[in-house]
Amino acid sequence: MDYRAQIGIRFITRRKGSLIAASLAVAIAILVVQVNSVIFQGLYNAIVRDQINYRYGHVYITRNEDYITKSDFMLINWLERIPWVQAAAPRLDSVAQINSTVNGQLIHDYNVQVTGIDPNYDERASTLYQTVGSGQYVSFRNSIVLGAMVDRDLGYPQVGDSVKLKFIDQFGNNVLRRFTIVGITQTAGSQGVDSGVIIDIDTLREILNRPHETGSILVRLNDPTKADDVKQLFLSAFPSNDDKFKAQTIEESAETTLSGFRSGIALINLVGYFGMMSSAFAVVTIQMMQVSSKTRDIGVMRAIGAKRKDVLLVFIFQGMVIGAIGAGLGTVMGVGYTEYAKETHMTFQGSLALEVQYNWMGIIQTDIMAFILAIIASIYPAFKATKLEPVEAMRFA
Amino acid sequence: MPDNVLEVHNAEKIYGEGETAVTALQNITFTVKKGEFILIVGSSGSGKSTLLNMIGLLDRPTQGSILVDGVDTSTLDDNHLSSFRNSKLGFIFQFSNLLSDLTVLENVLLPRKIQGTVDGAAQEARTLLKTVGLESQMHKFANKISGGQAQRVAITRALINKPAIVLADEPTGNLDSISAETTVHLLKSLNRKLNQTFIIVTHDRPQFGEVDKIVTIKDGRIVEGELETSLR
Repeated sequence: MDYRAQIGIRFITRRKGSLIAASLAVAIAILVVQVNSVIFQGLYNAIVRDQINYRYGHVYITRNEDYITKSDFMLINWLERIPWVQAAAPRLDSVAQINSTVNGQLIHDYNVQVTGIDPNYDERASTLYQTVGSGQYVSFRNSIVLGAMVDRDLGYPQVGDSVKLKFIDQFGNNVLRRFTIVGITQTAGSQGVDSGVIIDIDTLREILNRPHETGSILVRLNDPTKADDVKQLFLSAFPSNDDKFKAQTIEESAETTLSGFRSGIALINLVGYFGMMSSAFAVVTIQMMQVSSKTRDIGVMRAIGAKRKDVLLVFIFQGMVIGAIGAGLGTVMGVGYTEYAKETHMTFQGSLALEVQYNWMGIIQTDIMAFILAIIASIYPAFKATKLEPVEAMRFA
Repeated sequence: MPDNVLEVHNAEKIYGEGETAVTALQNITFTVKKGEFILIVGSSGSGKSTLLNMIGLLDRPTQGSILVDGVDTSTLDDNHLSSFRNSKLGFIFQFSNLLSDLTVLENVLLPRKIQGTVDGAAQEARTLLKTVGLESQMHKFANKISGGQAQRVAITRALINKPAIVLADEPTGNLDSISAETTVHLLKSLNRKLNQTFIIVTHDRPQFGEVDKIVTIKDGRIVEGELETSLR
């Protein structure tokens, strides 16, 4: 082993207090970044997961600025012949004014989002039906599932009660329709249809006077990595200008929701990296103390022939030891926390279950950054050490 | 190989500038031949340690020149000075100044490692440690041995690179009388056995008995008539 490395390692490993303090500073900085990653990347992944499960599927097919007029039956059959496609389901969205009478009191009208689903297809392509906590999913023509927030706003009507919805059809006519509540849907983090209602798609088509029309088709894949392939297959199979189909992967369809969140994650990561900078100051302080306590040894080394760059390298190696131990410790702590979050199905603020994944690339990047930072933090103390003249160093030590 | 391993010509050392300038040494001229055992003596503050630092190339004279093994050291830059110190000079300090985080053997080997000539060095170090009676202590950390033992390790470290001159600054100053006597005996026997040149700063001249030359420093000058005194 290089003697400068040997001395650097001995200097720091035989000062256990300094080594533990400096390594912990690095490790805690890594842990902070890891915790941020587990929570916020987990939250991001959870949102993506729920957007896939409840709203968009892995591939989301619409028609540019219009309704899909081709038969949904035909399109779904075509899609489900692709080996990577698990299932596909049609959806039709609209808006209606809703009111309810509870204990003889009319809860005034307000607008809600109405999602029309086909119960047969939807239960295979989406997990929205699993979010119905009380009651059941849409099962007959005039049944309705209320979002939990709508239920609350309407004064908590129960399953079996009725609500009235007023639609405007495609010709501008008001259509008033009474529905029987069959279930209440509630999702963690309100990622589902908590602020809307779900009805049968054929009922909605009839109300809007849009027979056989579909708003969108969500496609669930058994291999999510093939989303782009499925998208391209679909678009190349239906290239006609008349169709004007638009197919999007989840990253594209949920872009509006996710882009803001990505910025938030970037900001949180920045805060984490600033935390890492503060750990670098701790390393600088401890290294300065090391230089101070080793002044005599530096003087002796210089007297017996070590050059200034040799002294510099001793403390750089010391920084490398701190960086390596800190990075190792931080990784263990970070992976431990990730495992804990994964095993306990950690939730965000007690609601949305985080989608925790090991981001090994991120872990390695953070480790490398912390390691390099520990070395950089050692440069100034090391440089100060090289400025010591041997006679002065030995005299004042 | 020049006869003189050390030539000091009109060396002068002044600290500070202008009105605050203090002359620590002036008109220092003397030579040392290979294999000589030299004492530099003088009272506290006389400038003997300053002179040793200049000979040891740890400090530069304000004026004059110092030639070690025929090389004018004033022409050497900082890096070359370090290499030169490493290969031509050995140091023994009053407080031994071993690196406490290294073992005895590692301390002895350090000058060789700095030099980059480690082949066979471990065996040489073991042989030297055996010579000074510390073979059994070689794997102990330096802070786990006694002061007398530490000073013998320092002597071994000073010799490992086979320097032209070994410089010792009060080598017995921090030792009890028995250890001091052992150390003096060891230095003198190494001088005879290895024909190794020693220059020793001490305030305890009688402790060293007969030597080749004594340089007496008083108020920064060599006291006339004392330079060539030979007690051997």
